[in-house]
Amino acid sequence: MRDPLEGGNTAPAEGGDGRRYVLEDTGFDEVPKKYRRFYRKWKGPGDTLAPNEVLCPVCKVVIRSTRALRDGDRVYCMPCMSRLVVFTNDAGALEARVAY
Amino acid sequence: MVDFLSAYSIQKWLESCPQGYLENTVFGHPPEEKEPELLLSNPVLREETIRATVQLVVGERCALAASSGLINAAPDEGSKRFLATQTLDEARHVEIFSQRLYDLGVRKEDLEGVLSQYANKNLVKFAEVLLEKVDKKDFVAGVVGQNIVLEGMAFSVFEMMHALNQGMNPKFAHTLSGTIADERRHVGFGENRIGSLIKEFPEKKAEVEKLQKDMSYHMLATFADLFRNNRARPEFEKLGAQARERGISAEWHGVELREMQPEDIEKVLSETVLKEFKVRLERIGLAYQTPSRP
Repeated sequence: MRDPLEGGNTAPAEGGDGRRYVLEDTGFDEVPKKYRRFYRKWKGPGDTLAPNEVLCPVCKVVIRSTRALRDGDRVYCMPCMSRLVVFTNDAGALEARVAY
Repeated sequence: MVDFLSAYSIQKWLESCPQGYLENTVFGHPPEEKEPELLLSNPVLREETIRATVQLVVGERCALAASSGLINAAPDEGSKRFLATQTLDEARHVEIFSQRLYDLGVRKEDLEGVLSQYANKNLVKFAEVLLEKVDKKDFVAGVVGQNIVLEGMAFSVFEMMHALNQGMNPKFAHTLSGTIADERRHVGFGENRIGSLIKEFPEKKAEVEKLQKDMSYHMLATFADLFRNNRARPEFEKLGAQARERGISAEWHGVELREMQPEDIEKVLSETVLKEFKVRLERIGLAYQTPSRP
């Protein structure tokens, strides 16, 4: 099964804590069954993202990885088909920008 | 070949949509769910619900015409296949919202007459601006108009309507959930496809920026017509009071919709949609054009 974290930057590194995360199914049903645990619905501005999560700026779905995300990670948002690159914003939080 | 579409397939669409969130639904909702009795028995609420649903049918008919019309204008096979699935999504939306009109008591033989009677003239103009580009097989302008402006508007409108209906009308809230899931794919296609195309055709920028401005004006005028001077306001206020008594909230973008006057909801909706347009267009290298305010 493919983690939405796309290959190429897999060793624990700067900004990542190397922890592994067990992903439970959150009831997100907008992608084929085997990928569902990698996504969850965003609950709005008050929703706190975990270190292994990032919000897709295109379709507002939370993308989840089995390990903590860090600068430069490339992730795939299957619900809207966007390829994203993770970066740390000025406030120190992880964000994703679209790679066209 | 379009890179972002390389992971897209009809098979994934089947597994996500008909075999996913639409599985075991009838016209987008669990078969046992019905419209609330109050909407059917209160003539003012029923008429306003029909009026609102008519706008959804009109918008989705436009989306159906646009997505199907853009298939043959698409410059690559991946986009054609995506637009084929979007065409089916839009046809489904037309069907489920038309079915809602039937559920509200509109007779099948009266459908076209009811659509003509209640269709907002500004929404019709909004559709005409887009379909003119589609008729000219202008793929870049057509996708911006359809998948960024129209779908971006629909995404926010459906989310707001979902928040308002979640506690009071599960049937319609479920219907909307499926359309929101569809819209995610549609806005994703629009942004990703145009994000790469606009780099190839920078000379199209000025034209599509004007298109966004014109369509945005007609969208704002539609919102103004629907929210201001709404004769069902007292009935909606009663519904809001009932919801509060039952502890049902309708939070959306940090505001409690049930505590707000229609004009304030219009303001939040308009600002949310325009902000999304601005952010989305700037991400793909287009300058947002502020529309006139109706």
